Amino acid sequence: MRRLRIAALAVLALVTASSCGTGGVESVMGKDTIRIGVRTDLPGIGVRTADGGFAGFDVDVARYLANKLGARPEFVPVLAADREKVLADDRADLVLATFSITQERKSRVLFAGPYHLSYQDILVRPDENDIKNVRDLAGRRICEVQGANAGQRVVEERKVAAQLVPVPDYGTCLEHLKSEQVDAITTNDIILAGLAAKDGSGLRLLNARFNEQRTGVGLRVGDVEGCEAVNRAITDMYQDGTAKSLLKKWFGTTGLDFSTVAVPQFEGCS
Amino acid sequence: MTIVQPTTSPPPAQSQTAVPAPVVTQHAVSRHSVPGRVRTLTGAVLIALAMLSALLAFGSGSAREGLRVIGHDSGPQVVATAGLYLGLSDMDAQVADVLLMGSEYGERRTTAMTQYEKRRTEANQALLDAFELADGDPAERLTIQSVLDGLGRYERLAGEALLLNTQSDHRAGETPEAVLRVYRQATDLMRLELLPKAYNLTLESGTIVRRTHDEETAAVRLLMLGLIAALVAAGGLFVALQLYLARAFRRRLAPALLVATGLTVIAGLVGVAVLGQVLQSIASAKRDGFDSVLTTARARAIGNSLHADQARYLLDPARADTYEHAFLDKSQSLVYADGGNVEAYHATLAKNGRISLGLLAPVRANIAGNFAAYRRFQEADGRMRALATSGAKPQAVSAKLDELAKSFTAFDRELVTVGERYEATFTKTVAAGDGALDGLWRLAPWALGAAAVLIAAGVWPRLREYR
Repeated sequence: MRRLRIAALAVLALVTASSCGTGGVESVMGKDTIRIGVRTDLPGIGVRTADGGFAGFDVDVARYLANKLGARPEFVPVLAADREKVLADDRADLVLATFSITQERKSRVLFAGPYHLSYQDILVRPDENDIKNVRDLAGRRICEVQGANAGQRVVEERKVAAQLVPVPDYGTCLEHLKSEQVDAITTNDIILAGLAAKDGSGLRLLNARFNEQRTGVGLRVGDVEGCEAVNRAITDMYQDGTAKSLLKKWFGTTGLDFSTVAVPQFEGCS
Repeated sequence: MTIVQPTTSPPPAQSQTAVPAPVVTQHAVSRHSVPGRVRTLTGAVLIALAMLSALLAFGSGSAREGLRVIGHDSGPQVVATAGLYLGLSDMDAQVADVLLMGSEYGERRTTAMTQYEKRRTEANQALLDAFELADGDPAERLTIQSVLDGLGRYERLAGEALLLNTQSDHRAGETPEAVLRVYRQATDLMRLELLPKAYNLTLESGTIVRRTHDEETAAVRLLMLGLIAALVAAGGLFVALQLYLARAFRRRLAPALLVATGLTVIAGLVGVAVLGQVLQSIASAKRDGFDSVLTTARARAIGNSLHADQARYLLDPARADTYEHAFLDKSQSLVYADGGNVEAYHATLAKNGRISLGLLAPVRANIAGNFAAYRRFQEADGRMRALATSGAKPQAVSAKLDELAKSFTAFDRELVTVGERYEATFTKTVAAGDGALDGLWRLAPWALGAAAVLIAAGVWPRLREYR
């Protein structure tokens, strides 16, 4: 009966094929090649390699997801400011570029995942014993990196009276920390992990884990089917151990706490 | 369909495909003779009738499948997995409350422990239900199994924290570090591993429902088109048969054939109408029922977990900032109002503006007084936090256990009521669809069977004239 029904549907579908399309948004499902937006400016997360390729945690996750969707990934370099635009302009089908899920963004971007949770955290000198969490930054000096709001979040959101020392970038901030011009660096934990690894002098990540950030996969609004398929692929990535091995591969030696690597709570696709 | 062609005698018509060959074979003669044509036409009518029956059967089969999955399979699964999340989340919330109370609040502590045990039983039952309902989905079963394993570990850690808590005999709000160290492991396991998995299971049921809905409605729509085409074809063939019989045998219309035509057309039209109605039922059960039931279930889950974040905020000062941010984040995902910290969020919320973002925004029409209960709950949260930051810890704990708990219960109860209303809509529309299909099944086979008998009755006497 079921086979007969399928046959009947197939015949009818052929007859009416031209009369009705699927309508709505074009899905990432069923494509041979998926264009994926990734960062090129974040060590460990997404960078250009010498041979013009792409490498990093987000890039590896993107490869895994594309493979699960049965497609070949084609990487599109994006900067933080372009992430929504590449989706809207149809230059990318998916965006994996430290794309934080926010309520405000959700009206313009459909988020699958999150595939990773990161937290704002604190990096200190090896001999620093007085700073244990964000409260202990009161009265201490931290960097205010141009264009980043991590320092302000400590002062305004957490209402901790830290002294902000303006610096142009995280590299300078790192030098300031080592020469004791600032007492701590605070930002996203995986950026801190990258800095600590690059430095190699034993700077300590506190694993203080405040301000959770959910990093999701951006899709065009309306591609519910694609979003659900990505969520299933992320579930697989955690179940088959790929997530843990990728985190270890990119951040294993950085002092980040990997005692709990579990699939994050998804946003939902509708 | 023109049949008449000027030819020789009795068989008044020749098909366009008639052989141009000079020699007419015996076979061709019999096919083009009057009885041969009558048989061919009758056969075509019966085939059309059979197709009509088959399409009706397939169409109602697809519709039935759609109703089954949405109404009787994944619908209940959503309820089961949402129950799992609530049970788990509330277990951890009760543990946090008990640790917060210390050796004070005697009776309330007993109530919290009873609630913990009750939730544990519920969560275990929900896990068993979910496991059974996830039959045939290995990934889902793997998830459920890992939640089951994790729950065992959680209970051990929670038990240890509760024991240390009793032994330490502390005042409310002054939980010792030794207890907190164990509780942190327990709550991390719950919040970071078990609850996300339970939540994703609920989402996955939603995915199954959406897929089935899309597939089956597309199938039913297609089969409806086929049904209409078969109906037109059957009608045309009936007319052709009537006309041919009238011409060849110089009679008026055959009454039996006329009745058969009527029955077929009625059965076909009723079939199309019923399938259309069931399509609407499925769409409405999904949109007005299922989606909203899912939304309120998810909202209750998030609500319970942000309420627990309030207890954790008071319980563990070293992590107060983490829990406060988690509370704000979840609050904003539920009912969005602008604000980078909890105070700013409360201030925006107090302006009583329109809620257009967040999980509950789509069902805002059903939430009384523009989220009045939710606003009262958030106001109580503001007062509790003000007490905590001003150093009045015992008062803050008392505010959490009294005013805050009450206002949360009021908000949660409202969500339950709204969810029940959607569930009623859901059950009603699924039942309406089932009823319409049952009616079709009672009527259509008889009508089409009778039509076939009547065709035979109408044609048989004519054929007998040639014996």
